Amino acid sequence: MTTKLKPATLAMILAGGRVDDLNVLTYYRPKSAVPFGGFARVIDFPLSNLMHSGLERVAILSQYRSFSLINHIGSGAAWDMIGRYRGVSILPPSKGSGPSNWYLGTANAVYQNLDFIQYHSPREVLILSGDHVYKMDYRQIIDYHRAKDADLTIAFLQVPREMASRFGMADVDNEDGERGGRVLHYEEKPNLPRGDWASLTVYCFRPRILYEVLEANARDDDSFEFGRDIIPRLMHEGRRIYGYKFRGYWGYARTIEEYWQTSMDLLGDDPPIRLEEWGIRTNLEHRNIRDCQPLKVGAGAVISDSLVYNGCVIEGRVERSIIFPGVHIRPGAEVRDSVLFFNTTVGPQCRLSKVICDVNTVIGGRVEIGGSAAVQDKEATVVGWNNHIPDGTVIGAGCTLYPQLPSEQWRTHIADREVIR
Amino acid sequence: MIDRGRTLVLLLAGGVGSRLNVLVQPRAKPAVPFAGVYRIIDFALSNVMNSGLGQVGVLTQYKPLSLMRHIGTGAVWDFTGRTRGVKILPPRTGFQDSDWYQGTADAVRQNIDFIRANPSRELLLLSGDHIYQMDFDDMIRCHREKAAQITIGMMVVPKSEIHQFGAGITNAEGRIVEWEEKPREAKTDLASMGIYVFDTEYLLNLLAQDREMLDFGMHLVPRAVERDRVFAYPFHGYWRDVGTIQAYWEANMDVLRDDAGISPEAWGIRPNPRPCANMADRPPVRFLRGNHAERSLISAGCVIEGTVVNSVLSPGVHVGKGAMVRDSILFDDCHIEAGARVELAILDKRIRVGQGAVVGTGDKGVVNCQHPTHLYTGITLVGKDAEVPAGASIGRNCIVSPWKKAADFPADGKVGDGETV
Repeated sequence: MTTKLKPATLAMILAGGRVDDLNVLTYYRPKSAVPFGGFARVIDFPLSNLMHSGLERVAILSQYRSFSLINHIGSGAAWDMIGRYRGVSILPPSKGSGPSNWYLGTANAVYQNLDFIQYHSPREVLILSGDHVYKMDYRQIIDYHRAKDADLTIAFLQVPREMASRFGMADVDNEDGERGGRVLHYEEKPNLPRGDWASLTVYCFRPRILYEVLEANARDDDSFEFGRDIIPRLMHEGRRIYGYKFRGYWGYARTIEEYWQTSMDLLGDDPPIRLEEWGIRTNLEHRNIRDCQPLKVGAGAVISDSLVYNGCVIEGRVERSIIFPGVHIRPGAEVRDSVLFFNTTVGPQCRLSKVICDVNTVIGGRVEIGGSAAVQDKEATVVGWNNHIPDGTVIGAGCTLYPQLPSEQWRTHIADREVIR
Repeated sequence: MIDRGRTLVLLLAGGVGSRLNVLVQPRAKPAVPFAGVYRIIDFALSNVMNSGLGQVGVLTQYKPLSLMRHIGTGAVWDFTGRTRGVKILPPRTGFQDSDWYQGTADAVRQNIDFIRANPSRELLLLSGDHIYQMDFDDMIRCHREKAAQITIGMMVVPKSEIHQFGAGITNAEGRIVEWEEKPREAKTDLASMGIYVFDTEYLLNLLAQDREMLDFGMHLVPRAVERDRVFAYPFHGYWRDVGTIQAYWEANMDVLRDDAGISPEAWGIRPNPRPCANMADRPPVRFLRGNHAERSLISAGCVIEGTVVNSVLSPGVHVGKGAMVRDSILFDDCHIEAGARVELAILDKRIRVGQGAVVGTGDKGVVNCQHPTHLYTGITLVGKDAEVPAGASIGRNCIVSPWKKAADFPADGKVGDGETV
């Protein structure tokens, strides 16, 4: 018996990866669970997009330090993904009767869960990355996929060719003008791209083709990535592969500098990232941020061009910064161009400039971090979680401070670009 | 820790609270928003939760919809589980007791079936109207230690205020030997907070004896004091009956101060973020360039372009460029447009104050003509969903009734001190 309640599309989010360049921020959590936007996590963007697209049968493929992610997803109720035909399944690597292994790549992760997909027998499988900051109505790419009777439809964004070496790049024709076209050529991270369309790792697959290509990939290849192996294989086979042309904002954060820049895109009078318009939701039960009282602004506080969530107490000066729940900024402290994660305390008379500080860190009094150079002339300093920075410490720009440093590791002066571990 | 399930909690949440005027036009007093993200009843519910109690009946009568939606399943306060639960108990028609609740004792009497259905050793009777933190577990422990039949939470108040309360005179061991309900002349300064612990069997007998006794403070307690073991449980701390506009305003302002002794988050008070304020859809507070905010509570989802001083803002309030909010309390989703000014006012949900309009200006000494006992300190009230037209000017101690639009205002947009729209 079929029902209209049962969703035709199964969504799968690739959320397992750790990104080395994100350094201490992904020391204890996958990239998709990195805090972003003053209250949320990166994965909240695809999850909220799915909710607004009415796609609420979702699987999350996760293997690297999944605890934070599993905690964050909870029951899925935060994104309305709980019901008769709605739900979030977290799919970690598992042992079974057949050969089993850690996920050896994005394609391998999906391959190891083919039984899950087959059980749901969807009309199409939408595969997303959990790592990007964007607003997309997936119904449009699915509609296009159906209209073209495609085997695979990929979302692309036009980028300057000099950025090509970091994306999967395609040449997409104008079969349907602005809406999309046939993918004529595809290459993973080319130096000299033939097209200027960058893949957003949003894939809509015809399930039968997905099964076939994953089986072949598992049988014949020794690399198991969608971008590097699966798409080239399907191109080679001459499948019907279409490109859906996306024209909105696309935020990525594969390095600390990119993370910082994407965070700054939340600010200004007319920010590119519009959390409220985009309808970004997070799980308020994670870290119990629903129990926070409103932001308390003290008598001498100045807060300019910043985002600050409930549960904070601001008594100092905050400019161009993103402040997560439970942060306390004491009188006389100045925080500029920075991102402070949950429950960090900034002591009196501190100076922070271009700092990304992970959760539960206590910064003592009169601490200076990031130096006095102009923000565009220096790299961000990153502080790992659960640190206690002693009073009066001076830390330069571009430094990396590992999580939970023991007290004997602290020196009164840490020079630019030093790494303390 | 006492045995869970051995104490049944009844929360009286039916009162009209008519002195809160337009704030209780759409909702019961316990459901009135407080300190940005809370409702008044959150304090009683959270105290129950934090005392380790979990079997709760909420007696409603007046406009219960907002309250029922707010309480929901009770999961926010952990009232779901094998031995935990919250039931809404509205008045019902039956064979004999086919009437509205006529008093506190009458309301309890009409729910004897609920009390019997949830066997308990003690019954804790509370009001949902007060702002405080209290450990009922300790109160129950005292009740048992004294082998009391009734224990009443009591606190010292100025003698000039004793006429608003039940007043008790205690002996050296804390037993109440004399009781006067709302005495004209003060013989004592020990006032009842409306918090009672009863031995359940004793209470059932007491209620069965004389069915004309409708109110605890007025009828049952004076008689019990004469013949039975009635003890006072002394409370020393922050406690407010926010039953008047002035008291409600002052208690909100107390949360802004560090020395007032009230701190909802530190007290473990839990708001229910879901049903009304839609906290899940609220991004962090956005502070734009050129704003000025100090000594205020500001909830997620607010956008601050103008000035906010000494005020409490619920989620989703917009304060436009050049607008000013001072000494005021604004409920969810109020829009203060550019150049408007709000001073010493309480604005219910979704009020729009048009460009350049002024709410709260003039002579604080002119009391409200229609409700001189409600508004006499200068505070102006604006009811839910009202629209104050651009350029309008509203005086002190004024009332704008809910749902009023531009056409309901005088042609020149001027509402004099003490007037009502």
